[in-house]
Amino acid sequence: MSYQPTTYYTSRRQQNWSRNQNTTRFVSAVKLGPVAHTILVALMITVLGLIYLTQATRTTGYDYAAQKIDSQIAELNEERADLQIENARLTALETVKNSAVAKEMTTPASTEFVE
Amino acid sequence: MNLDLPKNGYSRKLAYVILAIAALFVLRLFYLQIIKHSYYVDQARAIQERRFVLPAQRGEIYALDGESPVKLVMNQTVYTVFADPKTITQKDEIIETLREVAGGNLRQGFADLLDQTDTRYQVLGTKLTTTQRDKIKAKNYYGIGFQAVSQRVYPEGKLASQVLGFVNAEGTGAYGIEGYMNERLKGEDGLLQSVADVRDVPLTIGKNNIRIEPQNGDDLVLSIDRNIQSKVEQAILAGVDRTGAPQISALVMNPNTGRVMAMANYPSYNPAEFYKVRDAAIFNNNTISVPYEPGSTIKAFTMATAIDKNVAHATDTYNNTDYITVGDRTISNASKGRTGLITFQTAMEWSLNTGFVTIAQRLGDGRNINRTARDTMYDYFYNRFRLGQATGVELSNEAYGSIISPQSSMGNEVRYSNMSFGQGMESTMLQVAAGFSSAVNGGTYYQPSVVAGVLKGGEIESTKPEVKQAGLIAGSTSRELVGMLQQARRSSFPGADKPGYIVGGKTGTSQVIRNGAYSEAETIASYVGFGGSDRPEYVIMIQVAGKDRVWQGSRDAMPIFTDISNWMIDYLKLRPKG
Repeated sequence: MSYQPTTYYTSRRQQNWSRNQNTTRFVSAVKLGPVAHTILVALMITVLGLIYLTQATRTTGYDYAAQKIDSQIAELNEERADLQIENARLTALETVKNSAVAKEMTTPASTEFVE
Repeated sequence: MNLDLPKNGYSRKLAYVILAIAALFVLRLFYLQIIKHSYYVDQARAIQERRFVLPAQRGEIYALDGESPVKLVMNQTVYTVFADPKTITQKDEIIETLREVAGGNLRQGFADLLDQTDTRYQVLGTKLTTTQRDKIKAKNYYGIGFQAVSQRVYPEGKLASQVLGFVNAEGTGAYGIEGYMNERLKGEDGLLQSVADVRDVPLTIGKNNIRIEPQNGDDLVLSIDRNIQSKVEQAILAGVDRTGAPQISALVMNPNTGRVMAMANYPSYNPAEFYKVRDAAIFNNNTISVPYEPGSTIKAFTMATAIDKNVAHATDTYNNTDYITVGDRTISNASKGRTGLITFQTAMEWSLNTGFVTIAQRLGDGRNINRTARDTMYDYFYNRFRLGQATGVELSNEAYGSIISPQSSMGNEVRYSNMSFGQGMESTMLQVAAGFSSAVNGGTYYQPSVVAGVLKGGEIESTKPEVKQAGLIAGSTSRELVGMLQQARRSSFPGADKPGYIVGGKTGTSQVIRNGAYSEAETIASYVGFGGSDRPEYVIMIQVAGKDRVWQGSRDAMPIFTDISNWMIDYLKLRPKG
């Protein structure tokens, strides 16, 4: 497999060196071939995929948390309903009539309207 | 990229093979992902997506306690405990725990059900409370599960059961307000469509998620006052003890609004245990569902018609011979002896049929109940007082009753003579009470109603009383009638009422048809009356009935009215007139 070196772009300013200007320039010694490029692209895609999956999983995690909170709300609503029923039973007419206080009550012999 | 593979070499051939295979993959993927895209998306959706019903909460039902709403019907989540007999491992412990925690809720022989290992689902107990469920759940038994069920709860027990009705096993309201207002009470279920995991936990991923919130049912506030209702039910039971009657019904309404304040029947039932009732007739609210011939209570309507048409007044007289002939029939008074020239007030006090047949004749040519008389009576009875028509009260199974039109061949002179004292026609107690209310309130017919409003945010959004017809009789007619009924009560039942109040009413003892003819051995007793301080503030109607017995309005129904009426005066804090 032969390899054609890259033709570097050279700016005009660099071509027209001025006096006392430094004439050297940096060229990396590391050369990336097509396989390396392919691998890098694949790696980048993999990383992006992983990031996506992480986010999606995190959202699902929130779903479970939300579900848990919903269940708690439902449980608390049930408890509240049970308490309301108990309250209604305790204040029901029959309960009130049979209470010790009610049993002590008597019918007034006569009533008068105050002007 | 240029691969230097030797021509005809194995590498080149291999490359072609790989290329061909890759091309096959690409084609196959193209087919699956592009061409069959919709099909597989639908398949995936069917597996991943779930549709959850978000149940609407059924509206609660309230009664009034004075002005405040109090709960009559509530919702409670209860649990059915079931077992998978094939998978349970701690049978003895399960039995012991269930007996200890939910003894009263278990099915008979539930322990044997656990031995039926060829089945996967056995209900062990029903209606467990949340606390009971939690105690069993805490044991973590394998193969034991719970199913939540919503049920109606009645903190006031049997109170107003026939007004309320019940919710049947299918979750549908039946009878009473539950049946009539089922659509408003049940609300509308919501929907959650979402991708779910294997445990059916809905997840937010996915583009097709739908969430429609449930619309809970309306919380209805009835015009029934729980204190009046309780008193009426007590008075009925006292009446049952006193008379031995197998059926008594009563209703109390406000004549100035049409609102029903109490409605009760004996026998009754417990709506929480409706499934134990063996005779479905007990579910009926007899005050609206069973039309009958109301008897002499209708004399109040005949008198109102006469006064309004100016053909007879309280002090006008007629010659009473205790008998009167109409067509080929002779009609007699039940109470005889007050013969001679007597006033219509006397006829009202002694409930003399001859007096009211005479009125019917005077509505015509004075001697016959001719077409003019019959048309007038029909107009007042049916069109104005609305007897024989369903009232439209918000309760299911309301009956119509019947008033035969004079246009019909059945609407002849004899029938209308009978109608003048409440025979030969059928109406429900509510129809009579509503018509009577309009006769004593000055002449305004209010739509009878059991609904006071809707509870929203703890406040009652009241519905306004609906006037169906104003001025159906003149105010002076109404005042004269009130005076007559007051006098009739005072003379017949002196000392029955608290002094200083206007209390009046009319008894009724009506014959019933058995085997096609009026029976001598069976009657229905009624009483309809009003009470108040300056004007009628309440109207009470009582009915006492039972097969093969003679029930009398004055003996059997009137005392129940008196019991309730005197209590109402105290409860409503009515001031006596000077």
